[in-house]
Amino acid sequence: MSVFNRNIIQLEDGWNRIRKEAIDVLIDLLNNNFGGDRRGFTPTEYIQIYTECYEMCTQSTPYNWSRDLYTRHGETMQNYLVSTVLPALREKSDIHLLRELRLRWRNHTIMNKWLRRFFTYLDRYYVKHHSLPTLHEAGLTHFRVQIYEQIKADVCAAILALINEHREGSVIDQDLIKNIVELFEAMGMGTLDAYCSDLEVPLLEATAEYYKRQCADWIAVDTTPEYLIKSERALEAERARVMDYLNSESEGKLLNTVEKELLESVEIDLLEKENSGCRFLLSNDRSEDLKRMFSLFSRLDKGLDPMSAIVQRFITSKGEEIHNARENRLKSSTSSSKESNVDPDFISALLKLHEKYLGVVRNEFSGHALFQKALKDAFVDIINKNTGQFTNAELMSTYCDRILKSGGGERLSEAEVEGKLDKIVQLFSYLTEKDLFAEIYRNQLSKRLLTGRSLSEDAEKFMIAKLKLQCGTQFTSKMEGMLGDLAVGSDYRTEFDARMRSNEEFKSKLEFSVQVLTTGFWPSNKVVDAIPSTDMLICMGEFKKWHDSKHAKRKLKYMFSLGNATVRATFGKRSYDVQVVTLQAIVLDALNGGVKYTFTELSEKLNIEEAVLKPLMHSLCGNKYKVVKKISANGAPSSSKIQTTDSFMANPKFTAQTRKFRIPMASLDASHSSKRVEEDRTHAIEASIVRTMKARKTLSHQNLVAEVLSQLAFFRPNAKAIKKAVASLIDRQYLERSADDNNVYNYLA
Amino acid sequence: MPPKRKARGTTRNSRTSSSSSNKRFASEENMVKRNKKSAFEDNVMAMFSELAGGSEKFAIDMEGISKLCEQIDIDPESDVRVLVLLWKLGANDRPGEISKEEFLGGCTRLGVDSASKIQGLMPSLDLGFLDREEFKGFYKFCFQFQREGTHRTLDTGLVSALLDMLLKGGRIPSERLETFIEYLDTKCPNTRITLDQWTSFLEFAYEVEDLADYDEDGGAWPVLLDEYVEWMASKNK
Repeated sequence: MSVFNRNIIQLEDGWNRIRKEAIDVLIDLLNNNFGGDRRGFTPTEYIQIYTECYEMCTQSTPYNWSRDLYTRHGETMQNYLVSTVLPALREKSDIHLLRELRLRWRNHTIMNKWLRRFFTYLDRYYVKHHSLPTLHEAGLTHFRVQIYEQIKADVCAAILALINEHREGSVIDQDLIKNIVELFEAMGMGTLDAYCSDLEVPLLEATAEYYKRQCADWIAVDTTPEYLIKSERALEAERARVMDYLNSESEGKLLNTVEKELLESVEIDLLEKENSGCRFLLSNDRSEDLKRMFSLFSRLDKGLDPMSAIVQRFITSKGEEIHNARENRLKSSTSSSKESNVDPDFISALLKLHEKYLGVVRNEFSGHALFQKALKDAFVDIINKNTGQFTNAELMSTYCDRILKSGGGERLSEAEVEGKLDKIVQLFSYLTEKDLFAEIYRNQLSKRLLTGRSLSEDAEKFMIAKLKLQCGTQFTSKMEGMLGDLAVGSDYRTEFDARMRSNEEFKSKLEFSVQVLTTGFWPSNKVVDAIPSTDMLICMGEFKKWHDSKHAKRKLKYMFSLGNATVRATFGKRSYDVQVVTLQAIVLDALNGGVKYTFTELSEKLNIEEAVLKPLMHSLCGNKYKVVKKISANGAPSSSKIQTTDSFMANPKFTAQTRKFRIPMASLDASHSSKRVEEDRTHAIEASIVRTMKARKTLSHQNLVAEVLSQLAFFRPNAKAIKKAVASLIDRQYLERSADDNNVYNYLA
Repeated sequence: MPPKRKARGTTRNSRTSSSSSNKRFASEENMVKRNKKSAFEDNVMAMFSELAGGSEKFAIDMEGISKLCEQIDIDPESDVRVLVLLWKLGANDRPGEISKEEFLGGCTRLGVDSASKIQGLMPSLDLGFLDREEFKGFYKFCFQFQREGTHRTLDTGLVSALLDMLLKGGRIPSERLETFIEYLDTKCPNTRITLDQWTSFLEFAYEVEDLADYDEDGGAWPVLLDEYVEWMASKNK
């Protein structure tokens, strides 16, 4: 037949031709699996068939056979499916069904392709013109309706059976399943709906069933780590499964199902298992297992909450152990020895605990916020529980004092010092009563600086900088002021010394220097208005002249209990250099030359009151270096304590091993004034209330309390303290109660 | 039915026609008024100087008040109406006394210019006549008046006595009054009570019937009342 033949083709003629040359041939090919001599259609053959169709569709009415051809295309497909394909499938089951289906689907794809190509012309105009499904779509739909819908349940079941075998460890034909999955995907006609409802949903149900059983089996027998390892493996297997032969959309849902059955349902059991649960793992430092536990439970919504609660409780209990150890130490120490404010074991143990679990949170729990909070909450509990007479604030401050004092124990390198201080500041951040720590620290700092016992200025600055970072400038301003005073002081000293040297008139027997302190920065120390020796007075006079020329308005007050002096003491043939506090030096000067004074005479002559003179004399005649001899009054019983009836003179029989030695004196001031801390707190609360009320003008009691609590960073007042402050402010007419509501305060300008 | 009024024009006319005489009449009225007023004032001032011990004095002190009480036959130690009188007269400036201006102003307000008139006033000064709001003001006045000099607080002993005098008679539940006085006497013997605590007690007695409803942390009651409630709770265990 020539392509230029313009004779009208009748429907049946044309159709018969097409059927003989195209359809039947195609069907033969499929049935024989392309096995015979023919492999396909040559281009010539194809064009012939195409043209046949083309002509039949372009003839003018009533010879335009487009509609008939479209219909018969569909019928052909349908008939083939119903008569050949479906029965073939119905004969098979299980894996054989799957294999047959794969074959038939492949065939259908080929058939669909060729038929579409033969009847392409329909796609171009007829289909578009009448808004019909394209040939390709139509072909798919026929397959779906005639085949897929009929067997999908069986197919699905077969697949699920295979998957379960795979889960049990057998090797399965993954490609087969993959191909069938592709079929399911195609059956969605552009969406995944078919796949989802016909395969995925049953899959998820079957998976849940399967893992429910697994869970029940494992949980009874396995330890938590073992169970977790199995769970991890299962999850990995399912993930691989999706990647290998399922649609990737299923990954999330499938893994969720597994997590729900394996982890969520038994989370609490796993965590609390005796001898293998979370506590056990923490106690035994099982970091791998903890890591695994963390990563598995982090998959669950709120899965980490119970775990972090256990971690917090565990850390708190460890802290309690440390507290108990301290209590035992305190109890067992001999009753005669006074409780001291030093307990390095306690502090080191806390530091170690903190560092260990800081590491655990960072490494095993990936620094997750929930666990950081658990650590923090646990330590807030631990640090703020005080045992014994001294608060933890004081113990911590003393710990720092030892590190920062020169000669205070082990020699540490600069890096080690900074490391320790850094860690202690971390612990400090959990302390509620930060202002108490500040007060004690300041007092100890002042002692270090004034007695020259500070390890290094750099170390002091380092610590202050760390505290400033934590708490702000206001917290450390006084400390910085102290350091500043010393820096200025050393400049002054150089200047003054130069001046003295250049001053010909003034010849002093004493070498001396003066350190000026700004009152506000330094802790208030007891002022002792002792009358110094004449030599000292001359020096003090010279200094005053010089100082007044610099700062006319400033008033100086000498603190003899803080200064140092070195006294050259000669006893018989031997001389010694005795390092003492200035006050002690004044007394020694008075007793120079073997003079004897009674206690009262000394007290009057030097203008030193009894409460101060007693410990002073005790240091000179009671301790290791008895440079002064104490003579009890006649008739008075002798005792080791200083009595007002005693007399004193230099001890002619004194000897010592070393040439240079120091005679310490008991401090006249307490380690800190808790009264002062209380006062400062009351002021802080009142200031905070006034500030708040000034800004808000009117506020209810509860809101005021909340505001105040949020403003006070360095200690936590209780409700009663705040109420008392409010009452005081009402009385002083800063505030009033509102006439309308008793619970509301108004600011009075 | 009331008779129709005359047309206004007429009345006005009749007025304007005798305007000068009306002016005279008006000023006469005023003069009478002034005379009455000055007579009244003179009486009050006379009373003042008698009680204060001289017209040049600035105020009547407690001695003078006792004198007045004698004159009107009431007992200042036990009769609370003396305080009511002082309150109504307006003795707010300084505790324990009433100034000349206050006395004059108060007497004028109350319309009394002699001891006998004051005596006549007494029955109306019974506490029962004061409603809640008025009583609050009076109650506060009592505290302020009883202070000494520049002190801002009162001794608990005095407070107990005052509370008993002012609040007995059912204005607040008698159990509340009695137990609170007991608390003050036994637990706070040497304390000072502030104005805020004084006024808060009255509010408290009104508002909190059942101590179980008392909210220590949420409420803004003074610490004194918190401790009273705690004491009551431990007492009843």
